[in-house]
Amino acid sequence: MSLKFRVELVWKDTDDSVADSIYLASDGRVILQGRAVSPLERQAMSLPPEAELISVDRKLIRAIKDML
Amino acid sequence: MFLRNYWYVAASDDEVTRKPLGRIILGEPVVLFRTEDGAPVALENRCAHRHLPLSMGKLIGDTLQCHYHGLRYDKTGVCVRVPGQDMIPPSARVKCYPVVERYHWLWIWMGDPALADPDRITDYHWLDDPNWGAKPQYLHVKANWQLIVDNLLDLTHLAFVHETTIGNSALVEHASVKVQRSHDNVLVTRWIIDQAPPPTFVKVGGFTGNVDRWQIIDFTPPAFLRLDVGATPTGTGAPEGRRVGGISMRNLNAITPETESTSHYFWGQAHDFDIHNPATTDKVVEQIRTAFHEDVAVFEAQQRNLELVPNPPQTDINADTGVIQARRILDRLHQEERAAAAVAPSVAAE
Repeated sequence: MSLKFRVELVWKDTDDSVADSIYLASDGRVILQGRAVSPLERQAMSLPPEAELISVDRKLIRAIKDML
Repeated sequence: MFLRNYWYVAASDDEVTRKPLGRIILGEPVVLFRTEDGAPVALENRCAHRHLPLSMGKLIGDTLQCHYHGLRYDKTGVCVRVPGQDMIPPSARVKCYPVVERYHWLWIWMGDPALADPDRITDYHWLDDPNWGAKPQYLHVKANWQLIVDNLLDLTHLAFVHETTIGNSALVEHASVKVQRSHDNVLVTRWIIDQAPPPTFVKVGGFTGNVDRWQIIDFTPPAFLRLDVGATPTGTGAPEGRRVGGISMRNLNAITPETESTSHYFWGQAHDFDIHNPATTDKVVEQIRTAFHEDVAVFEAQQRNLELVPNPPQTDINADTGVIQARRILDRLHQEERAAAAVAPSVAAE
């Protein structure tokens, strides 16, 4: 598949640590990087059992606030 | 609105001679000249007596004599002679600005002189590095400096503004773009893989097939943009760091605000191929100059529209990401500089 235009955003903190990337797709979507929430975690934290949930790093939230 | 506590390029080294050069920088009139031993000097370009630009005067030794009534100023801006009187009023002085000569450019500090650390001058070594062919250039632009910064941070415009030189549609339709933002820097990295080279690359690089092309834009405030650009034949490993069989160039930009609506655009193009051949340097620079004149037409048309309707609403698209990040950094730096300036008088009074 030929690559269509997309933008990857990377936020770097003052200590040079880097947040997970944010992707802006050409179809308008914003795609975030995270880890899927397991059934065990859903049960333990009373999270919706069926929804597509991801767990993201707090640094990524900072990146979203600063960059988007 | 200008950031003052930064080094800016005031002139190219060969512009500053024993003939005073007048130039407006950040809205202030500045006169540049060299002393008899060749050291560069920058003074306020306005006689303390009746405001004539001192650049209309002449050098007498290392003093600058005003063309109007003959007051003379030394290289620190202090008046050392008033014709027809012995007493020199203490107020007869003009501002003196720190200057440093580096990379074939003359750098000036328009802010607090106590903060003028030459180590803070942005690196443009490619302009005088023996391992690169290079040539500095200058354009005067009738547009606000931020329009030029915006332009250099979003190179999708190459596909439309520069289709006869450095652009083609691959830049928009087949590019992978990464925007890295840190505290005082934005780095935009763009790869265009296995696409046709643009006309300029064919002319100076001799490519006959598709290329892997990169554009890495390094933004440092207030208006320094250093572009690492080039291409290699497709599949030879440039994305992995093996830049062989192609061309690599640095497009080096230092924009100095003249006024809110005009800019000094200092730029240069450095190349890593055929470096000792001035004809190659000229050919490369000519291609880029052609493209930059196309940009200037765009900036000046934007400026005219912005003067008709100031601060109109605008729509952002994905390609603006680098531009938006740079503007956010600049907004923060403006706020910080204003806050520091507001505090400074009370600190001084303590």
